[in-house]
Amino acid sequence: MTDGMRLRQVRKSFGPIEVIHGVDLVVGEGEFVVFVGPSGCGKSTLLRMIAGLEEVSDGDIEIGGKDVTDLDPSQRGIAMVFQSYALYPHMSVRENLGFGLSMANVPKAEIAVQVDAAAKILKIEPLLDRRPGQLSGGQRQRVAIGRAIVRKPQVFLFDEPLSNLDAELRVSMRIEIARLHRELGNTMVYVTHDQTEAMTLADKIVVLRDGVIEQVGTPREVYEHPANTFVAGFIGSPRMNLLDAAGQGAGKVLAAGAEIDVPTIAAAGSGKVTVGLRPEHLVLTASAPGTLKATVDFFEYLGGTRYLYCQLPDGQSLVAEQRDGDDLAAGETVHFTWKPKDLRLFNPQGLKLV
Amino acid sequence: MTSPALTLAVPASSRRRRARMGQWQGLLYIAPAMALVIVFFVIPVLFTFWMSFHDWPLLGQPEWIGLGNYVRLLTDTRFLSSLRFTAYYTVITTIAIFVVAFPLAIFVEKQRRGVGFYRTVFFMPVVVGLATASLLWVWLANVDSGLIGPAIRMMGFAGKKVNLLATFDSAFWTIIVMVVWKVAGFTMIILLTGLQSIPVELNEAARIDGAGSWQRFRHLTLPLMRRTIALALILSVTGSVLAFDQFYIMTSGGPQNRMISVVYYIFNQSFVSFHLGYGSALSIALLGILIVLSVVQLRLLRVGDDK
Repeated sequence: MTDGMRLRQVRKSFGPIEVIHGVDLVVGEGEFVVFVGPSGCGKSTLLRMIAGLEEVSDGDIEIGGKDVTDLDPSQRGIAMVFQSYALYPHMSVRENLGFGLSMANVPKAEIAVQVDAAAKILKIEPLLDRRPGQLSGGQRQRVAIGRAIVRKPQVFLFDEPLSNLDAELRVSMRIEIARLHRELGNTMVYVTHDQTEAMTLADKIVVLRDGVIEQVGTPREVYEHPANTFVAGFIGSPRMNLLDAAGQGAGKVLAAGAEIDVPTIAAAGSGKVTVGLRPEHLVLTASAPGTLKATVDFFEYLGGTRYLYCQLPDGQSLVAEQRDGDDLAAGETVHFTWKPKDLRLFNPQGLKLV
Repeated sequence: MTSPALTLAVPASSRRRRARMGQWQGLLYIAPAMALVIVFFVIPVLFTFWMSFHDWPLLGQPEWIGLGNYVRLLTDTRFLSSLRFTAYYTVITTIAIFVVAFPLAIFVEKQRRGVGFYRTVFFMPVVVGLATASLLWVWLANVDSGLIGPAIRMMGFAGKKVNLLATFDSAFWTIIVMVVWKVAGFTMIILLTGLQSIPVELNEAARIDGAGSWQRFRHLTLPLMRRTIALALILSVTGSVLAFDQFYIMTSGGPQNRMISVVYYIFNQSFVSFHLGYGSALSIALLGILIVLSVVQLRLLRVGDDK
């Protein structure tokens, strides 16, 4: 696999405050990479550093095997789609799409060909002579993507491109972007705080927190095998239940008064551990040893799914997702079980225990 | 707010009465402003317009002469030369103000250390009155006790005494420098608001599109600041066309009476020679010229057809 992009010990400081702490990342050619993380985690800053809009304090950025760390944004082989679209309001759609080429002194006839080609891909031909102010949010977003396509970049950069759209449009644009990636086959780097976008679009998810990469992996890896409690809690909605527990020697932990088997772990020791259980893996069952006893606090019916918000005997809270079954009233006592393979265990530092 | 049910219960006539009451209330609110505009602008303009059709001496009966004053001003060489001088002054000052104010605006737009200090310093001369500033510069340009002339001499650029206000050129440029010093801060603030209204992402997108700083200025900043530039331009042109204080105070019409601006000429005709009717006709002509200039500027900058 050739390199689409490579970050090596990339750091960024604003004055004395370092916000990106030595990020290493390899992105394969044609890969769709999504940066996710809570606000303030540095995902947008990292993207802007790749774009060249933010100076790199330390480290190197390579795109297509070429060191671009000190290059001008226009010379990096990137194109960027902004959250606010950033269309030039005084130019027609056609001029917006062709602006980059006209700055590069490409002949007019050539620009027209390129602009028409991009407009065709995005089905915005009828809009070419309008101004951005006359377009809807979704149309503006298409134009913004079109402007990126015209640049024929090696890497597309998306900075929360769907955040300003309404929910319905967001879904259709998401599918559109996925289609675009399949058709164009370029490397794409996409920043979002929306998990659905991350899970559906990404070949590779990069979870960031406080300027540090917490985990890199396919959506499945990140969801099913979170590297630590942060990733476990961040990816998935509702979030994974993380229960304080104590190791009970060989293959057993004590959580909320229940002795739980953890056969995958040879010896959990006797220290503190955290048990991770996804809401959809919790199954209602009859009272038995090794099950979790809980009291229903709140029951939510959402049609296809229902959520049980429960409290455990020691006060910890637990969310369970059910596909069917009767409504449950607050105050009822229930018991949960799960498949042993679905249980995750983390050490006191929050790291995954294998 | 009345509920819909209540509104329905009220008879139509009373509802109409209330609507009429609301209209009177609205009028009441704008009455003070209207009164000021009418008393100090509309009536004087109408009265000036009325006067312009008369031979109106300071003492004695005004005499209706129809368009006589207007016919006269078309062939009045002194008026035409004052018009020429004013046009020359307006072009030079406006260019000079923009040449200074635009870089200043760009300089103080960026968040940098002490930007508030710079903005304040550049704006400070604006709060000085024009007459005061003129007096100050008369002193600065004084041949013996001033600052500029003696300083030029001390630094060895001139052998003999330098009297800046003695020749047309040096007096003219002294006035230009004074006006730029006095007005550029104001234009800077107007341009600054225009610069700040351009979203940062637009410039970033243009950087990615490969536009250099000059191209970004030419293709983004300037077009997006059209309205702001139009405002600054009209204010600057109007202010220059109406220039009077600096010529009256600094040069008294200047070497060989070559610095008589239009307003200065109107002043001379009205309050020195007491041709009040002719002065009025000149004022109305000037008003017409200003309106035409403003409309032309708005047209040229195509303000209003953004969509």
